[in-house]
Amino acid sequence: MKKRINTIVLPVLVLVLGLSILLAVTIGSVQIPFTDVYKVILYELFGIGSAELATGAVHDVVWLIRLPRLVLAVGVGMALSISGVVMQSIVRNPLADPYILGVSSGSYLGAVLALLLGLGKMFGGNAVGVMAFIGAFIISLAVVALSNVGGKASAVKLLLAGTALSAVCSAFSNFIVYRANDSNRIQILVNWTMGSLGAAKWNINAVVVPIVFVCAIFFWSQFRTLNLMLLGDEAAISLGVDLYTRRILYLLVSALMVGLSVYSAGMIGFVGLIIPHAIRMIFGSDHRTLVPICALTGSIFLVWADVLCRVIIRGAELPIGILTSMIGAPIFVYLMARRKYSFGV
Amino acid sequence: MEISAENIQVQFDKKEILKGVDLVARSGRFIGVVGPNGSGKSTLLKCIYRVLKPTKGAIYLDDVALRNYSAKEAAKKIAVVAQHNLAGFDFTVQEMVLMGRAPHKNALDRDNAHDYQIVDDALKTTGMEAFKERSFSSLSGGEQQRVILARALAQQTPCLILDEPTNHLDIRYQLQLMRIVKESGCTIISAIHDLNIAARYCDEIYVLSKGCIRAHGAPHSVFTKELINEVFGVKATLLREQDEIFIVFRE
Repeated sequence: MKKRINTIVLPVLVLVLGLSILLAVTIGSVQIPFTDVYKVILYELFGIGSAELATGAVHDVVWLIRLPRLVLAVGVGMALSISGVVMQSIVRNPLADPYILGVSSGSYLGAVLALLLGLGKMFGGNAVGVMAFIGAFIISLAVVALSNVGGKASAVKLLLAGTALSAVCSAFSNFIVYRANDSNRIQILVNWTMGSLGAAKWNINAVVVPIVFVCAIFFWSQFRTLNLMLLGDEAAISLGVDLYTRRILYLLVSALMVGLSVYSAGMIGFVGLIIPHAIRMIFGSDHRTLVPICALTGSIFLVWADVLCRVIIRGAELPIGILTSMIGAPIFVYLMARRKYSFGV
Repeated sequence: MEISAENIQVQFDKKEILKGVDLVARSGRFIGVVGPNGSGKSTLLKCIYRVLKPTKGAIYLDDVALRNYSAKEAAKKIAVVAQHNLAGFDFTVQEMVLMGRAPHKNALDRDNAHDYQIVDDALKTTGMEAFKERSFSSLSGGEQQRVILARALAQQTPCLILDEPTNHLDIRYQLQLMRIVKESGCTIISAIHDLNIAARYCDEIYVLSKGCIRAHGAPHSVFTKELINEVFGVKATLLREQDEIFIVFRE
């Protein structure tokens, strides 16, 4: 079974992801013939074809809008689904998602500060993204610090610290939003919480995607420890791993990934919850297969979610967070209703 | 490998759980720790398998202090069978037992044919080979306990710590489990509730009462009517047959 997963399932998923990107790049509100799309990509990647391909509307739509979005979708989908897997192990709870330890409230506070109080202007164009990233990372550090007060951090203390700090951040964010009377900017804020890959650019991808890949490979290499985390502290130590330092390390690496996805795409819900669940149902909880399969499935899922967002409403774009929640929530209910899969409760 | 505990003291807040316990398990011996609920059996074992740090005192493996071992090195020396729950996740029986190989692996090592062979052998020893592909959480308590024992065997350590290993097991598997661990040749320290099982399988018995060692020695010399009455607060009749001893409890 194990061997089959590594030799069949993973290559198939890589293939599906590749084909998904190639297919998705031809779909959009502007009709462009297949051949023109691929000509532009071949020219940009390998310098094949005439130099005329490097300019013009077709080039800009394909190379500067669609493809960067798809590449970002791959990175963000991977980041969210892997950090969902990791968070579920860290807090030993199958209902955890990437945002559970305060990351959502922290990044929201960052975005609020940037948009409504103008903080972080020195970061230039994407001040909201940068501030959201900083918010996500600071709250993760704070959760680690708070959960170590009065004895070493445990899974439960991390959850409590996350909940408490989350509430603090939300309170401050809400206060600022309540006092602000700039409906324009509040609208931007609302859109930000729904997520979008629309801001994707090659220079953003060049930072986000490689870091996500490295983090993904790091977590894949940690499959044994991630498995032991599910057994709890006592069993893990008798099998040779002190989970205390690993939890903190994983939490911070995961915060880096989620922070980058928030920075580049805002808040996208349910991906980090649904993908790990669905994959666990089919392939089990062994992280040596769970991590890579989730990474690829999360990417594929987000690529197609983004395509749907672009075409589902004619002439407009649906925020991707709405779509993932619309798809994700019913799947979640379906999973709950299936008796075989009880979430272990 | 010899395990020794020297002057182990454990305090939670102001409450003393262990008040200076000494215990020696010589290489290959089967040591039983008995005592009423709350006498400190589990606390003592948890100090030995590193879940608790003693307030005072130290554990030694062949004269090297256990605290000088890394978690991973210690897990190559001591395997543990205790009560753990899985909190909402599930593994197959094979995956569960394969985790016993974790201390022998570096981060990038893969599990090879040798590891899978060890897992198969351990499952065969505990009579669980037919359950290999089953999900762990679908097993009965007794079957789960036998899988955990297989995991400890797959760890291939010179020492085994058992924390009330026969809970959940019916009488046949209680005896089977004790026989398997005895035949493993490991140095064994086990907390045991059932005094007759302790008497039948252990080489030496330590009787814990209120955080102190109350008695220590071979089963037939440790277990007496007076001691059982004093420590456990029950009346008992002891039947002796050569070196064997059978304890019958009365109201």
